[in-house]
Amino acid sequence: MLKRTIVVLLVLSFIGAGLSLALASGGKGNSRKGKYLYRKNCRVCHVQNGKAKELSPISKTQAQWKTTFAAQDKLPCAAEWAKLKEKDITDIYAYLWGHAKDSPSPAKCK
Amino acid sequence: MAQTSSRGISRRGFLKLAGAAGAAAAVGGGVTGPRPAQAAGGIKPGFTSKYSVCDMCFNKCSLIARVQDGVIQKLDPNPKFLKSRGMLCAKGNAGVEQVYGADRLKYPLLRVGERGEGKFKRISWDQALDLMAANFKKIGEQYTRCGFMFMAGSDMQSTFVHRFAEAYGSYNTLSHESMCLIAGTRAFLDTFGEVPIPDMLYTKYVVMAGANRFESLVTPDSMDLMTAMKNGAKLVVLDPRYTKTAAKADEWFAIKPRTDMAFMLAIAHVLITENLYDKKFVAAKTYGIEQLTKHVKPYTPQWAAEQCDIPAEEIQRIARELAAAAPAAMVYPGRRSSNYTDSTQIRRSYAIVNALLGNWDRPGGLTAARVVGLGGGIPFEAPFYEDNPEDRIDAGKATLMFPEEGSFKLARDAVLEGKPYPVKGFFLYHTNPMQTAANRSKTVAMLNSMEFVVTMDIHMSDTAYMADLVLPSQTYLERQDPCSAQQGSSACACVVMRDPVVAPLYESKPVFWVMQQVAGRLGMGEYFDFTIEQFRDKQLAGLTGGMDALKRDGVYYNPSKLYGVYEGKIYKTKSHKIELFNSRYAEMGLEPMPVYTPPKPGGFARMRMVVGRNAVITQSSSQNNALLAKFQPTNHLWIHPERAQELDIKDGDWVWVKSKAGKQRIKAKVTYETRPDTVYMATGFGVLSPGLANIYGKGACIAQVLTDEFDSITGNMAMHETWVRVGKEAA
Ligand code: SF4
Repeated sequence: MLKRTIVVLLVLSFIGAGLSLALASGGKGNSRKGKYLYRKNCRVCHVQNGKAKELSPISKTQAQWKTTFAAQDKLPCAAEWAKLKEKDITDIYAYLWGHAKDSPSPAKCK
Repeated sequence: MAQTSSRGISRRGFLKLAGAAGAAAAVGGGVTGPRPAQAAGGIKPGFTSKYSVCDMCFNKCSLIARVQDGVIQKLDPNPKFLKSRGMLCAKGNAGVEQVYGADRLKYPLLRVGERGEGKFKRISWDQALDLMAANFKKIGEQYTRCGFMFMAGSDMQSTFVHRFAEAYGSYNTLSHESMCLIAGTRAFLDTFGEVPIPDMLYTKYVVMAGANRFESLVTPDSMDLMTAMKNGAKLVVLDPRYTKTAAKADEWFAIKPRTDMAFMLAIAHVLITENLYDKKFVAAKTYGIEQLTKHVKPYTPQWAAEQCDIPAEEIQRIARELAAAAPAAMVYPGRRSSNYTDSTQIRRSYAIVNALLGNWDRPGGLTAARVVGLGGGIPFEAPFYEDNPEDRIDAGKATLMFPEEGSFKLARDAVLEGKPYPVKGFFLYHTNPMQTAANRSKTVAMLNSMEFVVTMDIHMSDTAYMADLVLPSQTYLERQDPCSAQQGSSACACVVMRDPVVAPLYESKPVFWVMQQVAGRLGMGEYFDFTIEQFRDKQLAGLTGGMDALKRDGVYYNPSKLYGVYEGKIYKTKSHKIELFNSRYAEMGLEPMPVYTPPKPGGFARMRMVVGRNAVITQSSSQNNALLAKFQPTNHLWIHPERAQELDIKDGDWVWVKSKAGKQRIKAKVTYETRPDTVYMATGFGVLSPGLANIYGKGACIAQVLTDEFDSITGNMAMHETWVRVGKEAA
């Protein structure tokens, strides 16, 4: 019980300091909204037999998603990215990073 | 039990209470369907044979139905189905009764009395669907769309319930998994990066703790273990009960409950201190051996012996034997792990021993999921509702909850509290938490707090009995279902599907149709704008010859790689290695390696209650089957003779069993097959619903007694944290 309390306190203190694991690395966005935005904007092409390579959160590791998003202007679809609001990109990142193949909850289906 | 007898409603009385004449028939009042004629001299020539897939438990064994004049006469195993090794178990054979049993729900029923009073009236499907649509609309508008919760069992059509929930806009979907296996799933995922499939057929040595594979069947594990043992493999069972698996084992240790972690840590201690672990494997593929070496130092066999009631020299010997048989040796990962408040960490200790044995991805060890290649069906783009709350109702209440599964226990608490937001609608399909969730009183309270509850099932389960609207489902033998992928280690990576073997009885419908109809009424028709055939075609698009094989053999096999799947690949963990030391846990303030805490002493006359299955019933979905009820007509409280003597209880006496969750009345079975500090009873009896004629009034309800603690990491129900007192009933 004590241990659970400590965990809760730790998590709370991290949140308080803006340093939680989630916040530090992608959790800023709304992953649920990100899923919607990803399906709407990205999956149009990134599907089986689509214009671009089929993708889902588990196509990459968290580090790979980080690299991809850091270099978004170099991607073939950079022009499409440019049309998205920054908040939308953060949400999409929260979804892809949060359910990456080495994440605690890898996406189940594509 | 107490509830049923105190209300004093007999079955006959219930039927009278049921109001409209049609309702009496609908809840099982005498109208029966056609019957198989096989009893009189077997099946006559001229029958047809059709493939289907068993649904009497989650294993989905392929079968062949023998049909004559539109009636199923018999179910046989499909010899081409390798995952079950061509077997159909007792429950599978009894599947005919699911279709023809007199208690089938026949029409949609609407509650007309108080909730739980058992008064329903027959309504038309149109009325039922309109009512559902109106409530989805009303509750969504009043409480946001997350105010409607969904729960679907392990069924080939459950995907359509999840699809509906997502399109409708609710994050609150639950499954049975948080009452079963998610702690084990979390533990292995957080060690190996995926949940392994044991290669039972080729193993040489198995330590099985917290699993009962010869009664609680898992295919192909149960069959393959038997074959492996014939071929010389050794089975060591740790279980406080003398299960059938214990009876068949080479060695059985009646381990003290909640001490499995101590045993595993001591095994790790011996493997490391005696240099018996697979050093090459550990150096190349794991992370954290230095930390683990230090961590397990104090966990000696002598220390563990006192915790587990297993002699130190036996622990030491088992560790040595495991090492000698490695890598074709394993601690069996198990399935149900809804046991303790630290079940994830307990199962992590199992996973760590496996890693030390170097058995991953190798014959006779733990194998990775094989490629099946089945697609996800027809994709969809669910809308996003800006006015919805941020997250699930149970979010943030367990450290690493699976967002798609959630936690029934934590969701139920949140609904009862009305926080962080109200949930007032509940749709349930093919699942019965009134019997499967610990602390039934709380489930009753949750259902009572709802404004609209719909249950779809084949019979009047206790959950249906508490609902506002009850919908008659088709049984698996009447249904057309999507394809389903299966993993079976050396047996297969395969696909099965269902087509109806007989026409549906009464007004029963598939849940796909219900979701489609309600979606249409809510203007969400585009999400269900397809047929099951089209869905299957899309699923099978990547598998050349898939449909032909399914039609010809009842199963499609993908001859994909079985061993060495991970050669040259990363592990899907944070360090990209097998994590003896879990670096993510460390960052989150969780114990990065399992730390043992001894169980609290139970005190005088306080015993721990444990749950467990037998081979003829699968909890509440098959108890009311007339054929199976002959094998298990009721349940008893298993109690050790020493304790029984102290309490003046004799075999067959009526006793009460009481916890802080509730009390039940049950007959005692005085037996050496359980420890003096442990009692047991089978799940699924003591029902409230008189619509379950075969078991109504029989036995006691374990869910009423089990307390609802939870695993702090996943939110998995922790049922074995139940302390009970037992006493003889006053004459
Ligand atoms: S194990 Fe038995 S009940 Fe389960 S699917 Fe197979 S035949 Fe059916």
